[in-house]
Amino acid sequence: MGYTLQLERRLSTNWKQAVFTPILSVLAALAAGAVFLLIEGFDPISVYRELFDASFTSKFGITDTLTIAVPLILTGLAAAVVFRMNLFNIGAEGQLYLGAIFGSWAGLALTDGLPTVAGVGLVLVFAAMGGAVWALPAAVFKAFFGTSEIITTLMLTFIALFLMRYLIFGSSSYWRDPETTNFPQGKRVPTSARFELFGDTRLHWGIVVALGIVMLVWVLIRFTSLGFDMNVVGSSPASAAYAGISTRRTVIVALLLSGALGGLAGGAEVAGRAYALDPNGLELGLGFTGIVVAALARYHPFGIVIVATFIAGLRNGGIALQGLPGERVPVEVSLMLQGAILLCAIGGDIFARNRLRLVRTAPQNVEAAS
Amino acid sequence: MPPSEAAAGSETVRSRPPAIAAVGVTKRFPGVIANADVDFHVDVGEVHTILGENGAGKSTLAAMLCGLYRPDEGTVVRDGSPLRLRSPRDGLAHGIGMVHQHFRLVDRFTVAENIILGDPTQPWLIDPEAVEDEVAAIGERFGLPVDPHARIGDLTVGQRQRVEIVKVLYRGADVLLLDEPTAVLTPPEVEALFVTVRAMVAEGKAVVFISHKLGEVMSVSDRVTVMRNGHVTGEVATANTSQRELAELMVGRSVVLETRRGTTSGEVGLSAAGLVVRDDDQVALDHVDLDVNQGEIVGIAGVAGNGQRRLARALAGIETPAEGTVVIGGVDVTGRGALAARRAGLAFVPEDRLGTGLVPGLSLTDNMLLTRRRAFFVDRKTARADAEQAIVEYEIKAPGTEAEARVLSGGNAQKVLLARELAEVGEPGGPQVVIVSSPTRGLDVGAAEFVRGLLHEARERGAAVLVISEDLDEVRSLADRIAVLYRGRIALEGPADELRLDEIGMAMAGVDPAEVR
Repeated sequence: MGYTLQLERRLSTNWKQAVFTPILSVLAALAAGAVFLLIEGFDPISVYRELFDASFTSKFGITDTLTIAVPLILTGLAAAVVFRMNLFNIGAEGQLYLGAIFGSWAGLALTDGLPTVAGVGLVLVFAAMGGAVWALPAAVFKAFFGTSEIITTLMLTFIALFLMRYLIFGSSSYWRDPETTNFPQGKRVPTSARFELFGDTRLHWGIVVALGIVMLVWVLIRFTSLGFDMNVVGSSPASAAYAGISTRRTVIVALLLSGALGGLAGGAEVAGRAYALDPNGLELGLGFTGIVVAALARYHPFGIVIVATFIAGLRNGGIALQGLPGERVPVEVSLMLQGAILLCAIGGDIFARNRLRLVRTAPQNVEAAS
Repeated sequence: MPPSEAAAGSETVRSRPPAIAAVGVTKRFPGVIANADVDFHVDVGEVHTILGENGAGKSTLAAMLCGLYRPDEGTVVRDGSPLRLRSPRDGLAHGIGMVHQHFRLVDRFTVAENIILGDPTQPWLIDPEAVEDEVAAIGERFGLPVDPHARIGDLTVGQRQRVEIVKVLYRGADVLLLDEPTAVLTPPEVEALFVTVRAMVAEGKAVVFISHKLGEVMSVSDRVTVMRNGHVTGEVATANTSQRELAELMVGRSVVLETRRGTTSGEVGLSAAGLVVRDDDQVALDHVDLDVNQGEIVGIAGVAGNGQRRLARALAGIETPAEGTVVIGGVDVTGRGALAARRAGLAFVPEDRLGTGLVPGLSLTDNMLLTRRRAFFVDRKTARADAEQAIVEYEIKAPGTEAEARVLSGGNAQKVLLARELAEVGEPGGPQVVIVSSPTRGLDVGAAEFVRGLLHEARERGAAVLVISEDLDEVRSLADRIAVLYRGRIALEGPADELRLDEIGMAMAGVDPAEVR
């Protein structure tokens, strides 16, 4: 007689699992991180407390966290809208750069003298276009030739990265500020192209825009025919063909939408924080982190808001940890925790989808056999 | 073919313990009891059929006998001693081998390579000649001619099945479990299989035959255990029973096994002319001409893989034919896509229910939306009401309208699909042409009867109905006219009442009926 552990597929997943699984995953990741902190000679409890305090307990901590959350919400959405249909646009990073390039161009060229709403609106529209333009080659090659979008979007990211650096560091482009020759910088956009700030904090109206876009994406996925088509194409291409839903069209539209969301993140960074095409201020891996955000949120728009805020808090706190007197906890701690959280989230997913059962193996009934 | 000899043989060795037996086995899956306290035994030298509707628990029982599943309660007993099988490999080590309905062969490997694949008793350095000799010897002994060098990908379905059987025999199985082995075979191949089965029992092997086809069960088996809803409802010797009695045991009430014929208005609803579909240089459909009149059911018979799937797809607009035209309700829809075909009045039930007809990951409500016309916003309210209505009217066993389609059994999935596709057939603005692939495949007798009723009703409402099926009995019981598809061509066509069974069988096997006469 013995016991075995069995995974049993759940017939349905309910909201409780959807909520508790990520929370437990995060706790497991913190526990794993604590091991490494202990090895390094830090007290994990106090490090975590500092981390939390720095990001979530003070007014400036919270508003800084939310400021970092703005682009993460948008890149998270960019990943989520396509990942949920098994289309892996991992190039939100590059789409963000293109969004920043397009958005800052619009800010510099078109918005002078306009009211803020119109100016920022133009920046965002151009940013979205820039992101979509950058997703277009990947979308077309995917739809018509089946080229892996994972490869194309990743490669396009590097092109975007070096294009942005070239525009500022390598040339006297329109974007470069001609007055700073020693250390090249982007030309700063006029105030009409900048989000207004909340009081004396660094938090800008981009958070409101991002939340509005979360709602729009949710409605699109849940209630429109386009969202329905995306669902069908993603989960059963044969059904899509059967029902006359054009897989090609849907794949292209979805990837363009994803690119546009990534581009918006770049636009929001230009209008809300960087105020210029600034490679140093934009090369933060916001696009790649969006993938983590989307995965942790199980591709749900509302979940993305929560997860993006949480990850933003980690980043924010990670920076603050460095400034601690005495302890000198490296900033990498927050990156390590991010990685650990992703791993634990993927692991946690198995438990959300399956039920773990302790099964007593049936006792052998020899008499019954005779 | 009287099975009485074998049956008599088994009587004489009654004193021996059964080759394999299940004693009070119970197996539960989330939400269902697949087997409830089942007793079953096969003697050495006999063919014992497990008969039952789909979902009755036949395959679950077989899976426990061969080691694929472990019983929650009860025991599997081999030659009188209890067994605790951990895997099918473990089963094989005890001489128990299963031939699955869906073959588990590697296309790019040869027959010999497939046979030794996963065989733990092979030496570290494989001796190919020894394997080939052994395979040939087994083939000779049991009437299973296979070429050990042939690649699986080049073999017909019947030949592949032979390889599967040779494989378990090669591993030394004395107990063979055959899961619906005839589903994919032509009538002559079925005969050849039965010869093999008899050769095996004559050599003292025990064969468990799983089927729901009453005719075959009567002709091949010595005894029959009938299952319903996970319970054994009877065990009878075939010599002392009749098809009718077995059918009643299977469904628990008497079944009408008759057919109805319709009267057609003569108006053509669906018409294909000179339809050609190619794959690179291979011809999948070769100049198919086909008319289906309003108020008539035309059945396409044929063995799997002779162009049925492509025909359905070309007619439904999912695939564009290389040549020829498709006309639905007087509208030429050739190459204009699945939506155009639907707008012209088509309803289509594909053979693959979960995965094509239904999206497994979507709710029943959303699946109702799949082929509906949709505006910018989807109308879930109506779809939900449709799903609710379908669950009630079609007696669909589902947790609710928001359950994912993947949780449905095959029969219930088919009902959902039919509910969606047939809801408005014959009504003004509704579909006038219905194409159905394998409508009752995998369905239990009760559900199959219900589905046949729906198709008859569609015909009575004036629809032109095309039934494409690899199950000849199904085609014969439904259709007013039958066309046989062989290698992408219509090999034979005529009124169902006038075509003889052997004529159809030969056309399905590629024999020109004119030659035989």
